[in-house]
Amino acid sequence: MRTFRLACLATAMLAAAPLTARAEMRAEVLHWWTSGGESAAVKVFADAFTEAGGTWVDSAIAGGQAARTAGINRIVGGNPPTAMQFNTGKQFDELVANGLLADLDAVAAEGKWQDVLPPALTEAITRDGKVYAIPVNIHGINWLWYNKKLFEEHGIAEPTSWADVAAAGEKLKAAGLIGLAQGGQPWQERSLFNAMLVGDGGTDLYYRIYRDGDQEAVRSDGFRKVAELFKQLQGLTDAGSPGRNWNDATAMVLTSKAGMQVIGDWAKGEFTAAGQVADQDYGCAIVGQGGYLMGGDVFVFPVVDGASSANETQATLAEVMFAPETQIAFNTIKGSVPSRLDVDVSGMDACAQKGAAALKDPARQVPTTDFLISPDLSGALDDVITQFWNNQGMTTDQFVEQFIGAMQAAG
Amino acid sequence: MMAPMTADMPSGRRPRRIGIARIGVYAFLLSSAAFFLLPLWIMVTTSLKPMAEVWEGNILALPAQFTVEPWIRAWSEACTGLECNGISVGFWNSVRILIPSLVLSILAGAVNGYALSFWRVRGANLLFGILLAGAFIPYQVFLYPLVRLFSQAGIYNSLACIVIVHVVFGMPIMTLLFRNFYASLPVELFNAARIDGGGFWTIFTHVLLPMSTPIIVVATILQVTGIWNDFIFGLTFAGRENLPMTVQLNNIVNSTQGERAYNIDMAATILTALVPLAVYFLSGRWFVRGIAAGAVKG
Amino acid sequence: MTAMVTARIPAAATARALAGRADARPARWRRQLGAKLALLPLMAVVIVVYLGCMLWTVRLSFSSSKLLPVQDWAGLQQYGRLFANDRFLLSAINIGIFGVLFIGGCLVFGFLLAVFIDQRVRAEGVLRTVFLFPHAMSLVVTGLAWQWFLNPTLGLQKLVRDLGFADFTFDWIVNQQMVIYTLVIAGIWQASGLVMAILLAGLRGVDEDLWKAARVDGIPAWRAYLSIALPLIGPMVVTATVLLAVQVVKLYDLVVAMTRGGPGIASEVPAKFVMDHLFERNNIGLATAAATMMLVTVVAILAPWIYARYVRETGRRA
Repeated sequence: MRTFRLACLATAMLAAAPLTARAEMRAEVLHWWTSGGESAAVKVFADAFTEAGGTWVDSAIAGGQAARTAGINRIVGGNPPTAMQFNTGKQFDELVANGLLADLDAVAAEGKWQDVLPPALTEAITRDGKVYAIPVNIHGINWLWYNKKLFEEHGIAEPTSWADVAAAGEKLKAAGLIGLAQGGQPWQERSLFNAMLVGDGGTDLYYRIYRDGDQEAVRSDGFRKVAELFKQLQGLTDAGSPGRNWNDATAMVLTSKAGMQVIGDWAKGEFTAAGQVADQDYGCAIVGQGGYLMGGDVFVFPVVDGASSANETQATLAEVMFAPETQIAFNTIKGSVPSRLDVDVSGMDACAQKGAAALKDPARQVPTTDFLISPDLSGALDDVITQFWNNQGMTTDQFVEQFIGAMQAAG
Repeated sequence: MMAPMTADMPSGRRPRRIGIARIGVYAFLLSSAAFFLLPLWIMVTTSLKPMAEVWEGNILALPAQFTVEPWIRAWSEACTGLECNGISVGFWNSVRILIPSLVLSILAGAVNGYALSFWRVRGANLLFGILLAGAFIPYQVFLYPLVRLFSQAGIYNSLACIVIVHVVFGMPIMTLLFRNFYASLPVELFNAARIDGGGFWTIFTHVLLPMSTPIIVVATILQVTGIWNDFIFGLTFAGRENLPMTVQLNNIVNSTQGERAYNIDMAATILTALVPLAVYFLSGRWFVRGIAAGAVKG
Repeated sequence: MTAMVTARIPAAATARALAGRADARPARWRRQLGAKLALLPLMAVVIVVYLGCMLWTVRLSFSSSKLLPVQDWAGLQQYGRLFANDRFLLSAINIGIFGVLFIGGCLVFGFLLAVFIDQRVRAEGVLRTVFLFPHAMSLVVTGLAWQWFLNPTLGLQKLVRDLGFADFTFDWIVNQQMVIYTLVIAGIWQASGLVMAILLAGLRGVDEDLWKAARVDGIPAWRAYLSIALPLIGPMVVTATVLLAVQVVKLYDLVVAMTRGGPGIASEVPAKFVMDHLFERNNIGLATAAATMMLVTVVAILAPWIYARYVRETGRRA
């Protein structure tokens, strides 16, 4: 039956012919992609699923927190969606532990997911040897975006270390511009800090802190140096930074008010909306030793009718989302790169190609903290990082001690 | 004691002359109005600019290039997920949630307030105390147990479910509002009705309800605002087919990683607020006349 | 609930039948039957929803619940962590400052608006709607408008500086010491219209004869409002105060929209602490511990007042 269905699916995709009659597959998909660009990306999935003979019922709720809460409530209330979105990482651990999610083992084995996914992603979707989620994209979260025109005018080359970023910022600041456009919200400050930690501190230090929970690593010189440079970058932002949305910071770069911004690759959506082109109007760089911080999204499939494995509808949904063509089409619009590394990205924009190239090197595949630490610890560290960034009087020593304190409290 | 009005007029003192005092009154009211309208100015001007102008960041400036497109998009074209039909989608759902919730919560508040203030029922005030304390807990904390409760009752994710939730969470304030309003009415009014042989419901429907217009107006303002703008209850309890308009609004204005069209955000917000605004404006007539119409010679 | 409401109709009929009897002194419980039946829905809601959920919350605060509620026993662990948490302690201080200024500000401003609008002004309906409109709009976006306006590089400071006053500074929203006051300003903007509406409803109910008497006695208008009208609308002031107090304790949306609790943790508030841990940080145990502390504080403040006003005097307030 399965092979027949797959064969059927393959024929349909090749010939783009309508499917033979089959039981209706109705999938309600809960996700938080609601902006113009994101909607267009969702449409890629929906169209692919429709072509495979399914009916996509869209439940879009903006804001990851609101969407996840709604989804979890529906699971608890016994009325779950067919599939629901999470950030790649530990967010759905407890749902698996409570037997609320269906496994995707059969689909994953058949599609040879393990061979084409970065190992960290395979690990992130596997619990007790079973696969519970389909990763649909990889967002690079440690990108530096810069205004090419401003960099040329002031004779600045693309930074290769965070010290370079600081120097470039000083130069722009001296010219009366804003060195670094920063959205002043804790998650953005954390993003910047981790980008610097993995870039200048190195992948080893990053793993020792976030994966191993090594408190001595936090006391190391490497960590302290990153912390001091982080504080120095704060001096390159403008007075209006606290509270700012990331979109507003991006607008400052694209209108040449500011030189640079550090944020995930979804920022391309904002540049694209303003009619700017990667590598022409704006540049992108992974600064430092090269670790590419991989975030992203997965879909999980709540248990339906007591079946512990994905049913036909759920399996088909996972399959079409992971198909190479869907992956390319979806990620081109979304601004991310495909989660599978075996696809041809030559048609994507310059920055996506850079990202995909970085991911070819296993040493550069570094998961974000979402994969490594609990949401609880992540939040506690946010509180510490945002204080260090914003409190003028807070010393590096205090930062180190509070960072360790959070690791102990929320560990 | 507060006695019902006998004249079809506002209670304020008549102005004796047009002079400094009069100018002062208008100066105060107009400067207050300016304070209230300031953020609205930013919202309206932003909503009439193309994004290229918004990115420039002159938030207080008038649009250099005037456009109403964001308004059209916000109403019927903006994407909120797979669908790109703007905020108009959930409008009727919101109306369907609003009307029963509004009527039932005000009725419940009026009956509770009346029973609490005029009838000595043992233990009732303790219940009221707990209810009032409960109003202070962030209701998000209640979501999980309520979801389980409704799911066991078999009405989770339905119109009935969301209406019950609105009535339940409106109850503390509605009860307080009516209780305190009735407490300020002369007790002789009630005693006279009792002596005339009026029962619980007769007194309520014939004596008190007709006098309650001003407080019903306030209750309506409160509940229309609360229910119409509710997002989290609608999202959690209403079910996919009944999602209110605010879910679409949230989808437009609250995307975390998506690009933001602030001009559409602003237009969508103002459009969503039109129903409560209309209620505020129309309720004005009863601020004055309702009292006179419902006046009972005490 | 719907069923309960419709169930009142037969109850009403019974009550009326009872009342219509010739028997002039029925038993006390029987006289009250109508009231008792009418209060049944209230009782059900209070016991099932409010009391039930409160006990559930307190119970979970002694558990180690993370993403999903679990009924294990973790002792006082969550409370230990809560009281060692700088952010929670700062939140408590912030809500105190905000609460006093916000409630005081709204009551004074709202009363003034009600009095001035009561002066037979033109376009009263328009003015009233203008004062109320902030209440009608989603804080997500009005908060953003405030954030922009208060932002030193976008809003007021920039505007005044562009006019030639290069030294003008208004940067409270990015200043850790002052940011809480920007929340007060936006909060008053949002809520004082409602206070105006409540107090205006009260003022419009004050007997016209009292105004006439005051005028005959030559009492100035401002004194008539302060010493005659204000005491009369006392219950409305109480209602408004409770409403505002509920908003203070639940303050969340405004903070998220304007400051995200920043700069740093300078404008964090308890409800945001609860919400962050309840949802984003998947720590129901700590969130419910914080919610329990909020409840305990509220009860400690309210209890004497509720007791004096509503419990001790079993009937109508004197």
